[in-house]
Amino acid sequence: MIGLDTALGEITLVLFTTLAPAGAMALLLMGLPILSGRASWAEVRRISTYLCLPLIVSMVGLVASATHLGSPANALYVFAAVGSSPLSNEVLCAVIFLMLGGLYWLYSFRRAPSPRLLRLWIGAIDLAALAFIAAVGLAYSARTIISWNLWEVPVAIAANALMGGPLVALASYAVGRCTSLTARRAKGLAALAAGALAASVAVYGLQGVDLGSVGNAVASVTDLVPAYGAAVAAFALLGAGGIVIAWRATRNLPADGTPPEGAIRYQLVGRLCTAAALGLAAIFVMRFCFYLAHLTVGLGV
Amino acid sequence: MAQLAFYFDGTRCTGCKTCVFACKDKNNLDTGLAYRRVWEYTGGTTEKGADGTCTTSCFSYYTSVSCNHCDKPICMANCPQGAISKDDETGLMAVDAESCIGCGTCVNACPYGAPKVDPETVKAVRCDGCADLVAAGELPACVMACPARALKFGDAGAMAALGERGAVAPLPDPAETEPNYFMTPTADARAAGSDEGFIGNPLEVA
Repeated sequence: MIGLDTALGEITLVLFTTLAPAGAMALLLMGLPILSGRASWAEVRRISTYLCLPLIVSMVGLVASATHLGSPANALYVFAAVGSSPLSNEVLCAVIFLMLGGLYWLYSFRRAPSPRLLRLWIGAIDLAALAFIAAVGLAYSARTIISWNLWEVPVAIAANALMGGPLVALASYAVGRCTSLTARRAKGLAALAAGALAASVAVYGLQGVDLGSVGNAVASVTDLVPAYGAAVAAFALLGAGGIVIAWRATRNLPADGTPPEGAIRYQLVGRLCTAAALGLAAIFVMRFCFYLAHLTVGLGV
Repeated sequence: MAQLAFYFDGTRCTGCKTCVFACKDKNNLDTGLAYRRVWEYTGGTTEKGADGTCTTSCFSYYTSVSCNHCDKPICMANCPQGAISKDDETGLMAVDAESCIGCGTCVNACPYGAPKVDPETVKAVRCDGCADLVAAGELPACVMACPARALKFGDAGAMAALGERGAVAPLPDPAETEPNYFMTPTADARAAGSDEGFIGNPLEVA
């Protein structure tokens, strides 16, 4: 396969664009009880502590992306091109998001953090998370890269984040024994993931139609990603599997969010982590296809 | 700002690839890495008629391409490190090895496939128009080596007077980046974006 070198060479970016937006969306969703002011103070402290889980998911993605660089030590020059290079904008947004998230997490361990400040801070993190997800989607919007410069690319990134994010948030709630994990909230998050899965499949379908006619003198996208249809089917199956597992695991949770104990708790955590892993695996498949499909107008493959 | 440019005479090129080897020799490039490539664009069919005579629409021609030191360099616009620069005096592109992180964004964006990431140094590398030779009053190695004198190099205005901005297949539409690459196409040349032919030497240009 002609594009396999590109995709394998960029495998860490596949990982980054899989994990980082989903982690950012998970953090946003997990923090909503704090932002809305409905969570008890004990729950605010607990959620704040376990916000590190989606943050770690995002951070693992960012660290993975740095490993494909030849000289990561020189990466600070990246801020020199903010405004002109979409990739610089993406890195800036990532740094702001992770810095806000990391500092929030550290601050939340204070003996008596300010509830108002925590709430405002969460709001700022949410804005940074949304900007970061948008920046990831637009990172490769170069007009010469005809297979990437499509409206479906940023929309798919956002839809993928909305699919993977709720699953990661559910798993994080369960690990943290958060009382916010009620049957109602779990149902809402699973429904959000299901809606985003449907939107993602639709976007990938439209993208497949658009890519069908894209090619240059060296190759066509259908040469580069011959199994695009199968990949979309795998995405749908993995994503649906994750959502169904999450829904089944949480449908009988108590309405007041009292966390289960003992073996039932471990079972819940295991099933929700499996659901999140399946959701992320689904996204990984389509991100791999994205890098497989690299093609410029003219001679670039 | 002055701008230097390449001129390529497609009616003279024989596809010998001496330019490729002169460039590799000058820049000490290992296998798998070439700043200049010669693309063979070929197509058509030969058919035998009922009367036994053959008619053909076959065509094949070569295009020697390196970095075109474009007026609208998309590699520079997209480089997240600001590591790519365009010289004020010559218009030649260069990569600052200190600030380059080898992320490959320039490789991904260039429609000529000109920049590469050197697998050894993991830094972007590219044709710099043999800036050292040019500064010494000489011509780039590829131009000096071409046995058919199909390549020329000089002021963009002078090169533009010799031919049109490169707009033949398999090159992209020059409006994308406004390459400083002027040429005289062969009689067989197809317009940029044509799908009448295909790359006849894919392994040579890989």
